[in-house]
Parts: sequence; structure tokens; C-alpha cells
Amino acid sequence: MAEVEPVPTNNEDDMQEEIPGVMTTSISAISDFLKKTKAQDIINWGRKNSLWFTVNAMGCCGVELLSTGMAHYDTDRFGIIPRNSPRHADVLIISGYVTKKYFPALKRVWDQMPSPKWVIAFGDCAISGGPFYESYSTRQNIDEVFPVDIYVPGCPPRCEALIQAFYELQQKITAKKDKGTDY
Amino acid sequence: MDAKAMIDSLSSQFPGVIYDAQVESDIRILAKVKPESVKDICQYLKEKLSFGHLCCEFGVDYPERNEIEVIYVIGSYEHPVLLTLKAILSRDDPKIGSVVPVYWNANWYERETYELFGVKYLDHPDLRPLVLPQEMLGEWPLRKDYKGFPNKTAKNLV
Repeated sequence: MAEVEPVPTNNEDDMQEEIPGVMTTSISAISDFLKKTKAQDIINWGRKNSLWFTVNAMGCCGVELLSTGMAHYDTDRFGIIPRNSPRHADVLIISGYVTKKYFPALKRVWDQMPSPKWVIAFGDCAISGGPFYESYSTRQNIDEVFPVDIYVPGCPPRCEALIQAFYELQQKITAKKDKGTDY
Repeated sequence: MDAKAMIDSLSSQFPGVIYDAQVESDIRILAKVKPESVKDICQYLKEKLSFGHLCCEFGVDYPERNEIEVIYVIGSYEHPVLLTLKAILSRDDPKIGSVVPVYWNANWYERETYELFGVKYLDHPDLRPLVLPQEMLGEWPLRKDYKGFPNKTAKNLV
């Protein structure tokens, strides 16, 4: 690709290690450049077809989340696979009410996931707190903390609704409208 | 031994400590107990009256009377009688002896009553919050005058 050559190093902050006479760059400079090219479409095509999600069952919606990953719904045909480690996962599914005690653990799972990563708020409890919204131990408005792309209402939503949510997330990634990547 | 005989045995063994004893039916008896001797009574119940199963232990807050009741529901594997023991504590400084040496499963009940009502269990082996986070200790959310509910601050109410 001929247009790749003039790498725009407009930001001086990326030049971490100053070596005299040597032009250095960083990973983020390359990816920032790629976002402006057609190569990002190919990258997004790969990303949207491998949306691995964390098995993070937090409430009764977690049962739907678990059965979505099982053989009956077979989300593997969309490239959606449940992963037991947050290090492998791309999608965090908040599948229940977030209590004040669980919130630090959820934040830690989110911090352990490598970028690019997306969030789906699954069920009424994740969106607003559901029936527990004015409990003494509920952490409200978690969409101020996590960049939620898809909200799935329902109490609990069906497995098909979660598959639909993944489909909508794929559409957002294709259209470059998702919050997981800063375009 | 039926319910009436059990409550008579308990009252005669601990006079003055057990009060307001009543037989509600053939299988339910109810008594109030002085907080300082609740462990001795549980020991007697377990060894002599075969009340071997502590079903439940919890607290009730009464702000008008300035009291917190700690309630023990004790059952048995040998007879159908269920005993409800109530210990009345002061709301300002609720303290009561732990029954963990008698009924081991009281451990988590007492930890939960501690974090929700602030009842301090003396010589409990491991008195720390069970379900609530450490920073909520001292708020006692199940007391009636708790004000920390996050009313009307949720944005996306469905």
C-alpha cells in the first residue's frame, strides 16, 4: 500500500524514547493511522466475526447468558464463543444488578480485557437496576462507568434477544459507530 | 415430652431469665430471654431438650421502643416443636453473646445480623461483614431510620 508511507506523527507525546537520528513510532500511532484507511474495514470485519464474550453470570439473566453459549443456540456459527477468562474475551455482558460489593470485581474484569472490547447491558437490572433500583446496595447508572453499546431490555430477555444484541453490535462495528474503538 | 412440658422445664431451669413464655400451639412455643444468658439456654436446649437445629437467627428493629430484638428459631430432629426465643437489646448499643459455640451455623447468621443491624456479638470467632462491602459497615441498612436509599437517581428506568 503506497499510501501507508507518510506516517503522520503529529502527536509528539507518542515519541516516548528519543533516540537521536532514529524515527520511532508506537503501536497506537500505527493503529491511529489505520483507522483512517480502508484497512480498518477489513479489521472490523474480523473483529465482528469473533465476538468472544465473558461468562460472567451475575443474576438470573446469567442463566439466559449461559444457555446462549450452549449447543442449542449454537452461537459459534456467528463466531460468538463463551470464554472463561477475561483475557480472551472481547465482549463484557453485564447480566444482572451490580451491587456495591460486586462493582469493583466487575471493573477489574473489564480492566483485564484487552482492547478492542465492547459492553452489552443485558436485562433491566443492568440498564437501570430493575426491581432493585432503590436498594441500599445497588450501584446505579453503570452506563456512566462502562461504555455500553447495546441495551437489551427484558426480565430476563430471551436467548434470541441476546443473539439479536450481538447482531446489532456487529452492525455497529461494521458501521464504525461502536464505542469500543475511538474512531 | 410435649410443648407444655418443654416450656415448663425451661422456665423451672432458668427462673427469671425466661419470661413471657407461652404455648402458641402443639408445635410452636415462644419465650423471651435475658440477653446475657442466651448461650447457657441454648446449651440446655441442645443437650437436654434435643433442640439440635438452629433454623434461623435474625434481628428486628423497633425505633419507637428504642429496642432491637434478636430472634432465634430453634427446631429439633426428634420432635415437631419449634421454639422462638427473643432477646431484647438496647438500640443505642446492642450487644449479645454469640451462640456459635453451641450452634455452629449461627456464624453467618450473626455476621449478617451484625452488618445489617449493628448487633455486636461478643466472642464471635470471626465478626466481619458477610455480604455487604467493608465500606458500608456502620450504616446498618436494615434499621428503620436508614436514609441511604438512592431514591430517584437512576436514569434509565425501564
